[in-house]
Amino acid sequence: MGRAASLMPHPGLLAAGLIAALVAASLAGLSQAGGAAGLSAGSLPYLAGVVRGAALQAALSTLLSLLLGTALALALARRAAFPGRSALIAIITAAAVAPTIVVVFGMVAAFGRGGPLATLAGFAGLPAPPAIYGLHGIVTAHVVMNAPLVARVMLGAFASIPAERARLAEALRFGALDCLRHLDGPVIRREWPGLAAFIFLACFTSFAVVLTLGGGPANATLEVAIYQALRLDVDFARAAAIALLQIALALLFVAGFGLTGARLPDAPGQGRMHPRPDRAGPSLLILDVAVIGLSALLIGPVMLSVLAGLGRLDALASPEVREAAAVSLVLASCAAIMSVGLALLLASAAEAAPLGRASPARRRLVDLSTLALLGLPPFALVTGLFVLMRGSFSLTGAGFVLVPLVNALMALPFVYRLLAPPLRQSAERHGRLAASLGLTGIARLRIVAWPVLRRPLAAALALAAALSLGDFGVIALFGGGDLITLPYLMAERMGAYRIDEAGAIALALVAVAVGLAYAADKV
Amino acid sequence: MLELDDLTVSYPDFTGRYSLVVPKGALCAVIGPSGGGKTTMLHAIAGFEPVVSGRLAFEGQNLGPLPPAARPCSLLFQDNNLFPHLSAADNVALGLKPSLSLNGAEKAVVAEALAAVDLADEARRLPSELSGGQRQRVALARALAMRRPLLLLDEPFGALDPGLRKAMIGLTDRLRRERRLTVLMTIHTPAEIIDAADLVAFVAEGEVRDAGAPADLLRKGRSETMDAFLGL
Repeated sequence: MGRAASLMPHPGLLAAGLIAALVAASLAGLSQAGGAAGLSAGSLPYLAGVVRGAALQAALSTLLSLLLGTALALALARRAAFPGRSALIAIITAAAVAPTIVVVFGMVAAFGRGGPLATLAGFAGLPAPPAIYGLHGIVTAHVVMNAPLVARVMLGAFASIPAERARLAEALRFGALDCLRHLDGPVIRREWPGLAAFIFLACFTSFAVVLTLGGGPANATLEVAIYQALRLDVDFARAAAIALLQIALALLFVAGFGLTGARLPDAPGQGRMHPRPDRAGPSLLILDVAVIGLSALLIGPVMLSVLAGLGRLDALASPEVREAAAVSLVLASCAAIMSVGLALLLASAAEAAPLGRASPARRRLVDLSTLALLGLPPFALVTGLFVLMRGSFSLTGAGFVLVPLVNALMALPFVYRLLAPPLRQSAERHGRLAASLGLTGIARLRIVAWPVLRRPLAAALALAAALSLGDFGVIALFGGGDLITLPYLMAERMGAYRIDEAGAIALALVAVAVGLAYAADKV
Repeated sequence: MLELDDLTVSYPDFTGRYSLVVPKGALCAVIGPSGGGKTTMLHAIAGFEPVVSGRLAFEGQNLGPLPPAARPCSLLFQDNNLFPHLSAADNVALGLKPSLSLNGAEKAVVAEALAAVDLADEARRLPSELSGGQRQRVALARALAMRRPLLLLDEPFGALDPGLRKAMIGLTDRLRRERRLTVLMTIHTPAEIIDAADLVAFVAEGEVRDAGAPADLLRKGRSETMDAFLGL
């Protein structure tokens, strides 16, 4: 029996094999459908330009998101109480979990020609603000989406500075710069590489924002180029070649990031929290007010613009919206269960250790492989798979299978990041004890892992469901007929200038996303 | 002399009310059950707890209005005493100047403090490259470099093995005699400090229940609570 068990591969390896097989099948499908044409020599300069432009856009978006998000987190950490703090944190949370299409809607509503900014400028007799379409529009939208995420992560990280060290800083008369250098610096150095890698990849492969706010091919990403090859030119071979290029670039990036290594957090502190020593002082107060004000002015209008939908809540009762909501719910539930299942299997494979202690190299490999999924172009993946399925499925039928599958894979890096650390912690604490007691399989999951996984699992399910619910990626290819989700319907309403109805759907999407985030936090 | 006269710290879930006198240059071992308020007392002396009422004085000076940085004391914790990105020497130097831009005389003070704890050769090492005992000696060196006459040790050697713990207590005792420091040290195992301490304070339920010479206080029958704590 022992021999049979040792020959049996870990289920996590089977999950990894399944994902790799899906990717390979998709690429094979694309190449097969389009022949061997691939990229023509003439398209290479265009693609080189796209890569350069996307890299510049992603670098700018990443840098600004990190700077604003970290400054905001520091300001909120220093100012533990001020009027509107809770409201600002609620808006930041909403922006961090809001679907991309909602942020796009908010950008157009808040900063577009008909938005309050342009109206105010008109009243004041000032020239209208520049159009939001172009590189600045894309970068602003990415900052609105990612700076809140950075702020949430960094706020938690700054709160984890041991209380003893804050006391020590006060006893040693630390000034503002000393606090930044010795208290916050190590935290920033620990958190920024992971955040930067994640944001850069997300912006480098951005689709909905670039498609709607890009203002033309000059600001395209490879993802948009794949969409154009598939949807406009119906050139499968070209799409496959661009997809391969994007995967290669993403893998190169992730490998480079992997070389930077991971930093361990501090030992947890003891005793009551101690206020930061740099909370006093007028110069930092001015800086904090400026940062909080800038963040509120940038993120607030975008998120608050969905409140315009309050006037048309009746639109949510229409049969189209109800059907779209039901479809969204089914797809999101399937995607969430698949994503969490795969993440759990991969995370447990990373921790699998016959002698009770997992190999750090294997952990790092699984961590980086899941991060690499962020670089997978969903359009190419889904289209390649559809090519293989089209003999047996209609477009809508295939969509019902492929949309949740691809959404699950796209959510996997996020879900994995929620589940892997507690599983790792539990393996480190109790791995050898479990091995000595012969605990394996379900018994080990129930006794060792479940107590630490219960909350993260709920959070992961909620996050995966929220990401899928708000997805406006692959649904753009398969949407129509019976397969209409809420974001798809919202985009249709925006396209038809039924802005109030789009606002009502946006409001519903944000409310569900925030509700899921809140519920996950309270489990 | 350190005087605590009905020094009161209050939280919704805890109230500490401390009265204690520690002669100048003495080593006072603070013992008592976990959660009894030993750490809160040390933090109140260091200025990290909001004091509701009572008096706190050292050498006749009222410490109540002073912020932590202006008090004549250094506090060592059980963990997280060092900044992980700074070398041993820089961690000591922080006690003199947080900007770390030291002049020659200040560098000499840092070197002397590290030498006093036998770490002169480890000055450039990061905390992660030092053992648990060495890390606590660096923190002790910083306290020495700051030249504050009152040293508060909040179970700083609790995580070390018994032999090292004994050596660290011996080192602390030697340094306080050489430098005329007044030392308050919380400790879980009173037997380890019985030879070095001049005074033992038993803290339970937020009060100094008893204080006296070690041989006198730690004998059986002094009080039921004490006997229960000592397992006598």
